[in-house]
Amino acid sequence: MIFDRPTSEELVEVVSEFLEKDIKNHLPNHLAFKTQIAINVLNIVKRELTNEEVLKKETQTILLNLLKDSDEANIKQLAKQIEKDDIKLDNVELQEALIEITKKKISVDNPEYSTYKKLIK
Amino acid sequence: MSKELQINIEEFLLKNGKKGKVSGLTPLTGGASAETWKFQFSNEKNSEHLILRRGSGKKSPLAVLKSEEAEIQRKVKSFGAPVPEIVAISLDDKDLGDAYLMNLIPGESIARKILRDDKFSLAREKLSFQCGEALAKIHSVDLKDFSKVPKKPIEEELERLYLTYKSFKQSLPVFEYAFKWLNRQDFTKRKDALVHGDFRLGNLMIDESGLAAVIDWEMVSIGNPMLDIGWMCINSWRFGQSDKVVGGFGDLDEFLQGYSSISKEKIAKDEVRIWQILGTLRWGVICLIQVYAHLNGDVNSLEKAAIGRRVSETEIDLVDLLFLGGK
Repeated sequence: MIFDRPTSEELVEVVSEFLEKDIKNHLPNHLAFKTQIAINVLNIVKRELTNEEVLKKETQTILLNLLKDSDEANIKQLAKQIEKDDIKLDNVELQEALIEITKKKISVDNPEYSTYKKLIK
Repeated sequence: MSKELQINIEEFLLKNGKKGKVSGLTPLTGGASAETWKFQFSNEKNSEHLILRRGSGKKSPLAVLKSEEAEIQRKVKSFGAPVPEIVAISLDDKDLGDAYLMNLIPGESIARKILRDDKFSLAREKLSFQCGEALAKIHSVDLKDFSKVPKKPIEEELERLYLTYKSFKQSLPVFEYAFKWLNRQDFTKRKDALVHGDFRLGNLMIDESGLAAVIDWEMVSIGNPMLDIGWMCINSWRFGQSDKVVGGFGDLDEFLQGYSSISKEKIAKDEVRIWQILGTLRWGVICLIQVYAHLNGDVNSLEKAAIGRRVSETEIDLVDLLFLGGK
């Protein structure tokens, strides 16, 4: 890494906190609402920066187990195999892979989402 | 802008036999395809609150014209469904453009308030049954009176949604799976009906005693009535209250009881699940449409960009419904 601290995560975090603590409450309703969306977006970016490497590796392992061929083990190929009926809908390993990959995505996009919270309990 | 509009409304109402003054003209939500204004209309005899709904002039592929929306509401009301009374309709390129005026129904449409404020606690208890009743009334109107409403057979709708998803070239294995799964379901059991198309909190006016009016008819079509039932029951419209299947406030049993108190059609819970899957996928594709409007440069919008990362909410709901016994 050629950059010094603060890291990109730390930078995003400080901007998010600034908007939350110093800005949001001083704005009229419709701008406070938009600012909350901006804060949410920054928090997605922060979670992605923090967890991206691990999630990528874990997803790769799931895809390799399911699709076998290492050149073809990616999301695009999985979608294509479902589309072309190369992989059957009642394939339990497919179903489990879809569940696990989706959990990883939502853990970054919105870990507070009700269905995600229910499923990781 | 608003002074000119005020005079235009007064002239238009005068043409429709209503003489009086417009005051307190206030913009409500500014949707992409329509604008909504609230105002007071008064003469010597009385004073009333009215709503103006006006189209942007651009014909959206998803929505019917405002003048058509008004005609449909007027007819649906004559069949006894709770709908605001239409006061006057303005056709495209005339008077107010593509627009209509209707009575303001007092109440709340913001979902989070309806789900959380104490003053709606009684309303929440009755709402599920009432929504079932209202939908059954809408679904049982005589289609002869609605020949101009666009026909959208569900098989064609699914195909259209699939092509839309494909056009963005964003691979989503869960969506591929759900489309394939839905294509294997039997959608032929139901007779065509008038379908509201966006029946959920946000498009319902709620007062302290429950459902006051069904609004926002721009997605209306002739198609499979189960679309409205499933749409009302997807997790996306429960706003965190996911144990309450119907809109975050009610139980499916009460909703279906309300429906069958008016309609002869019998609906099983298993069939509802298929339509929850379809509804969740439909909302997921609508999220994609919104985010790609931003990404393709049609509009620059923080909200639209942010909604792109809500697609995974629909994916987790889909895997829950498809594989994990989700409700």
